[in-house]
Order: sequence, then C-alpha cells, then structure tokens
Amino acid sequence: MLKKDLILRNPLRLLGNERETILSPGGFGAILARAGVGKTSLMVQLALNSLLSSRNVLHISMNDPVKKVSLWYEEVFRHIAEKYQLAQMDQLWEAILPHRFIMTFKVEVFSVPKLEERLTDLTEQGIFFPNMIIIDGLPFTESAREMLQNLKQLALKHALHVWFSVRTHRHETVETDADGVPSAFQNVADLFEVLIGLQPEGEEIHVRVLKGGSSDRDHRGLQLDPATMLIMDIADKAAAV
Amino acid sequence: MKSEILKVRNIGISAHIDAGKTTLTERILFYTKRIHAIHDVKGKDGIGATMDSMELEKERGITIASAATYCEWCEHEINIIDTPGHVDFTIEVERSLRVLDGAILVLCSVGGVQSQSITVDQQMKRYKVPCIAFVNKCDRIGANPSRVINQLREKLGHNAVAMQIPIGLEADLRGVVDLVRMKAVYFDGENGETVRMEEIPENLLAEAARQREILIDSAAMFSDELTEAALEDSVTEELLTAAIRKATLTRELTPVFLGSAYKNKGVQPLLDAVTDLLPCPADVENLALDMDNQETPVRLVPDIAKPVVALAFKLEDGQYGQLTYIRVYQGNLSKGGTIINVRTQKKVKIGRLARMHADQMEEISRISAGFIGALFGIDCASGDTFVSPGLSLTMTSMYVPMPVISLAIVPEDHKAEINMSKALNRFTKEDPTFKAYVDEETNETIISGMGELHLEVYVERMRREYKAGVTTGAPRVAYRETITQMAEFNYIHKKQTGGSGQYGRVAGYMEPTSEEDFIFESKVTGGSIPTQFIPACEKGFRNCLAKGPKLAFPVTGIKVVINDGASHAVDSSDMAFQAAARGAFLEGYARAKPVIQEPIMKVVVETPTEFQGPVMGSLNQRRGIIVGSQDEGVMCVIETQVPLAEMFGYSTVLRSLTQGKAQFTMEFFNYKTVPVSITEEIIRKAQEEKKNVA
Repeated sequence: MLKKDLILRNPLRLLGNERETILSPGGFGAILARAGVGKTSLMVQLALNSLLSSRNVLHISMNDPVKKVSLWYEEVFRHIAEKYQLAQMDQLWEAILPHRFIMTFKVEVFSVPKLEERLTDLTEQGIFFPNMIIIDGLPFTESAREMLQNLKQLALKHALHVWFSVRTHRHETVETDADGVPSAFQNVADLFEVLIGLQPEGEEIHVRVLKGGSSDRDHRGLQLDPATMLIMDIADKAAAV
Repeated sequence: MKSEILKVRNIGISAHIDAGKTTLTERILFYTKRIHAIHDVKGKDGIGATMDSMELEKERGITIASAATYCEWCEHEINIIDTPGHVDFTIEVERSLRVLDGAILVLCSVGGVQSQSITVDQQMKRYKVPCIAFVNKCDRIGANPSRVINQLREKLGHNAVAMQIPIGLEADLRGVVDLVRMKAVYFDGENGETVRMEEIPENLLAEAARQREILIDSAAMFSDELTEAALEDSVTEELLTAAIRKATLTRELTPVFLGSAYKNKGVQPLLDAVTDLLPCPADVENLALDMDNQETPVRLVPDIAKPVVALAFKLEDGQYGQLTYIRVYQGNLSKGGTIINVRTQKKVKIGRLARMHADQMEEISRISAGFIGALFGIDCASGDTFVSPGLSLTMTSMYVPMPVISLAIVPEDHKAEINMSKALNRFTKEDPTFKAYVDEETNETIISGMGELHLEVYVERMRREYKAGVTTGAPRVAYRETITQMAEFNYIHKKQTGGSGQYGRVAGYMEPTSEEDFIFESKVTGGSIPTQFIPACEKGFRNCLAKGPKLAFPVTGIKVVINDGASHAVDSSDMAFQAAARGAFLEGYARAKPVIQEPIMKVVVETPTEFQGPVMGSLNQRRGIIVGSQDEGVMCVIETQVPLAEMFGYSTVLRSLTQGKAQFTMEFFNYKTVPVSITEEIIRKAQEEKKNVA
C-alpha cells in the first residue's frame, strides 16, 4: 500500500482537508481530555499522518523519556500496519523515521527561549526542519498564556503548526461553554484554531471537534477504538459490523 | 613499615591531564627526603620525574602507568600512588582509588575543573574516597584560585572551602596565608625546602579574616563544639582542624589548598593537610561479602591478628617477574604463609614480598593490614581477593569501563605475529580495559581500548618491548547480504558424459524473511525429489550463505522453499543435489534484487547542553538518524542510530568537539540496507582488494 493510500484511508481527514494539514502555519491545535483517555495516542496519529506525507514532526514531551515516546510511535504504527495489512511495514517505518525528532524537557525548566535555542541547534546544523511540533504534557496553568503567545510567535517565525495535549479534570469538563470548551481553558482558547475533545461515553471514546477543523465535520463521526486507540470513522465501524 | 596504623596514610594523586600530579609527587618525595634531587617531567636533563619510570613516559612527558611510592612526614608514613590524567589510562585511577584511603585532587588554577577532573571526582565518589583539593600552578598567567573553588562547588557539587589564600599570584606568587593558624607561609631556599612563618601582610588581613569566617562557618556545621567556640570567639587551631577533618572524612567538606609545585610553593602545608585531614586505614570502612551467608556485607578490621583479607589491584610483568600489587585490609601477609585466591580457590604460597618506590623495590618480610605492597610470582587477575584458608569472604572488584575504540592490527611478519601474541596476552592480563580478540567473520586481530592514545601506547610497547612490528587500521565492518524480493529458481545440475554421472533438479523460490537468518522449507510432493536428498538440498543452500554471491559477505534473512525437482535413478546423489541447490541459489539470488546491509549502532551521547548542536551535527554527518534528545539539566542525552562504518575515530572527534566533556556509548542495534552510493564504494574497495590479493 502506498503512503498516500494510507493517508486517504485515515479518518483524520475528516478533521481537515484530505491532502492538507489540519492547521495552517502558525496555527495551534489542542486535544483536551482527562488522564488516560487517549491524548498522546491521537497526537501520535496526527504526527504519523504528517510523517506519511513526508512532513517533519518535532515531538516534545514533558513527561516521558525519548525511549517511551519512541515506543508510542512504534505501537501506533504497528496497529495501523495491522489494520491496513501493510506488506512492507519495516521499509515504510524506516522511510518515515528520519522525519521525526523527539525532544524531552523537564517541565520545570522548559521555556520558549530554551526551545528556540534547541530548534536553532537543529536548523543551523541542517539536521532537522520541523513542519509540525507536538507538545505533550505542558501544564496549562494560569500563567500559560504568555508562554503560548511566545510559542505562537515562534511557530509563525518558523512557519510551522503546533499541537498540544491538554489534561482536563472531571470538574472542568462539567463547566464548559456553548462549544464544550472547559472553563479552565477559556482564557487561552482564542489562541487555538482547532480544539478537539476526547469524551468517554461508556465504552466508547468520542472525538469531538470543539472548534475549527473541516467545515464538513460531523460531531458524531469519529471515535477512538478502545483496543488500539486508533481513530476510526463510525461509518467504517458500522460497515465492519 | 610503621606499625601504628593511625600514622599511616594511603593516598592517591589524581587530576586532569597536566594539572601537575607527577611534579607534585616529585616535590613531595624531595621534601620528605625520599629523593635528593628534583627532576622535571619533561626536563632538559632527560631524566624525567621519579614516578615516570617508563621510557615512553619520559619521552612523551605523560604518566601512563600508576606508580606507588612511600615517604615519611611528621612521623606519618604516607604511601602515594601517582596516577595518569588521560582518560585512556583511566583504569589506573580506578584501581588506585579502589584501594586507597584518601586522595589529593589536583586542579590547575587556570584550567580549573576540566573533563578528567570530573571523571576522577566520580571515581572518588564511587569508592567514597575522602579528598582534599590542591589548586596548582598559581604562578601561571591567568591563575584564579577562587574561580576554581567556585567551579568545585558548581560543577562537582563539592562543599569546597578555602584553607589558604594566596600571597601574590602569577609571577608574583610569594606564599600563602594559612587560615587555620592565621599566619603567612613562605618557602625559602633553592628548592623551597625551608618553610618560614610570618605575620599576615597588612593588605591581606581583611580578606584573610573574611575567608577564615567562611571556613569556620562551614566547619561549624559538623561540630557543636566549634559552633559554641565560634559564638564565644574562642576558636582554637585544634578544634577547627578536628571539625574540618571530621567533615572531610565523610566527604561533606573539601578543604582546598593552593600553590605551585613547579615553583616549590605550597607543598609542605599540603603534606601537613594529608596527615591532619585525610584518613588512616582505621578511619575507613572496608567491607567484604560473606559468600557463605548470601553475600552479607562484613566489616573488615585492620587488625594483624585477624585472618587475612587482601585485594590484588594491579599486575605488572616487569624486570623482577610477575609482580602483583596488593592491599591488605585485614591480617598479615608474611613470607612463607599460605593464602587462597577466592576466585580460583587455589592455594598460594607467599614468596617474596616487596614495597615499591616507582620502579625500584625494597624487599620486606610482611605486609600488614592497612598497607600496600607487592607479591612476586603469583598467578592471578586484577580484582582477585586473597584470604586465609577457611575464610569465605570476597571483596568487590574495581569498576572496569567498556572500551570505546577499536583498531585492527596486522603483524609485519611471522616472528612479529608470535611476539604480538605474547605481548597481547600480557597487556590484556595487566589492563582490563585493553581487550584483544580475533574477529570470527573478518579474521582480523582487533584491539580495543579507552582511546587512541591508549592503543597507540600499546602498539609502541609491542614494538619496543616485544620487537613485534604491527600495522594498524580501521577494523572491517561486518556487512551482510540479503534479498529484497521473491524470486523463483529452477536449476538442473547434470554431468552425464559416460560412467557414473550426476543429476539433480531443484525448483522453488526464495524470499526475504525477518524471522531468522535462514529458513528452509520443503513443499516437495509426489517424490519429485526423493526424501533422502532433501537434507542435501538444504545443505547445498546453507553452504551458499557463508559467502554471498554479490560481495562475499554472509547472507542472511532468506527463506528458501523447494516445491519441485527431478532425480535420476542412477546419477542422483547427495552431492548432485547439493550442487543443484547451489546452482538454484545463485540463479534465484541474482533475480531477488540482493542488497548489502550494514550494522547500525545505537549511539547515545551524553554532553553538556552547550555542545548539543555540534554533537548532533557530527552524528548527522555520519549518516546518523537522530532519534531524540533528552534534557537532563546541564547535560543532555542524544540518542541516534549510526552506521558502524562511520563510527571509527568518533571518540576523538567527540572529545575535541566538547572539550572532552561528553561521553558516548555504542551498542549494536540492527542491520539496514546500505545506500546506493556507499554500496558502490564498498564494491570498488572489494575489487581493489581482490586485485591486491591476486
């Protein structure tokens, strides 16, 4: 199966246009969910979608070491390969690997200037030019707005877009606005072009686009498969049954 | 040997390269009247310092092997081991610190804390060796002892505290102010042998008072008595020294002294500090493991009446024969006595015993608990524990780091080959970080060590001491061949020209597999290939794997399935079907798009964050794929996958990129297909080699 077929069959296309990224350069997207619901898995799928399009992804983790993040990618890729019965999984994996770079930081010392310094190290040496950044584990405290604004400047400067994972808490998911954005996040929501919420309902995990995304979005269209945490289209699920 | 163990000091002198360890030791030996003339490490007289007895050491001006000596100062016996500063000879520092009770960490007042300073500090931490610091070379331009003390705190995490302040610096260095006695100390005489105490110069009084307060505050944390005395302004020398000693022994405080060994300043107060502040053998807790009791730790007592427990830490095959340096922790080693090597369980009769002074020895009748000496004619390994018969204790050996660099060596002729073998046997026995083996695949003799200098020294020693001339080169990379697609084969092996012939036909297909190196499957039905010849077919295919058709590299990752064939009632045989299988293999292989694969190594580099960019660049240039970088505060860890072929000489590159502050580890990861451009290069080299051989 060619890379492009894999992308076309990917339900993530429902979040954006088929051949283009969901976010534009300088754009911010966030995946909001409680702990353990599937934020990292979904972000890794977004990353793999980019990698398959030969776009470079810089994955930044505040919590996990390089090895663990790498394992996430291997596991998600393996699930995708099994689902679509990829013939030459190893070769495809080796082809996309050079497009991914993992960086980890201790959350207490992370700062935008530090990130910019690290990015410059990579770009000046001609080592890696990210098109997309994933930031997993950044705490969204009250003082996060300034950091996010600086990050936005950085993203615009380097013409890349950024996805964040946002951990919400039970009480926050109760207090939401009309779009379903948790109240605790509302002070920074304007900085984000796309917001995706993962909402567990019984045994299902629904993927809800709270803001932005494709104009054709269907709120009831996407779920995470609890067994593999892969995103799936409800229509495909029904057809399989 | 002193029988009062309280007045014994076993110390090591360790530092980064060229900090002045050997020069300092030379001065110590001179002032203790152990030697009567001072010689420079790389002096014009060509004699060299006492502790650098090897010719190579004198020529190059570096210490290669650690050397032991002893001297007396203020009724104390001080046993000293002078160690090398190059990381290449790190095993010498490792083994010395394992058996010593205290250490002097020498730092250059200009260079400050350098890469090997960090390494030797880690080694001292590993073995919990209390230390005092000596900021040397205060006569040099740019000397800044207070900066060095700050670096000790920030970079090494020491609770470093100045015990002296300098009187003048650089060319104007005249002496030091002793903050405990609050006196100025000057060093008179042609070689600074006369110590003169005077009042502190007026211009330094305020600074001396300030520094003394800091010293008292630091030491008072470890002594209630001193705290009280400080509050009452009645601090005595003895009280202050006792508190500093207490904290030094537990490694909670690092007293810092200063001077210039080369200019004969500051050495005698340092010797006083060794006797006042560093531990005697009885002050150090030494543990052994009870092998009869689930390795329960047992504290050893430096009592000569107790059973012997001793540790061999260095072997030397020298002019006196096999010499084993040994530290006795408990009991008494006497000539004629019997001890057991715990590792081999062999009984050993103690022959001659000696005490070393660089390369000279003095025969003695015994080595008691708390002392270091040497035994003759004992066959053992570094790190072996020796005990009295009936005792089942063993001591933990020293940490042996893994080699980081390899070279292939080729003897120049047959005689050199024999001598090289003898040399390698000896060197690998003496130095656990120097390894030698024959690579099964390439048949090359490979030597591995801690750095280019390490290997260079051994190659030179082979030449000089064993008359074994060798040439060196990068070790060959173990490439592989494999196929990338399925291909069918249908081969007839026929030789029927009259008389008994050979006939066999083998048909089937081959395809790549990642499960194993080679899989053979027979799907032959209807007896097209008689069952008795199937093993011969398999053997024929297997025989082709050792040297692949493409470039004679081993073939891996192939699954062969035979599903058809033909035989002849008379002419078919095992040999015929082996030949048929070989032919089938070559036929299928050519169609299966074979490629060359190279070993990929997982390389993890730990470097200060400031060098992250250049380090990643250097790995990128080596066709490395950087998996990620992990932030660890002042350091960062970069994980990459790099072809082994590109890693030769990387340790030197990394050192020069990072001022020696980075380290890397390398382990095999997997095999990957070689890029086309590299394949062409490999083919070209292989063809050249064939031409040369022809």
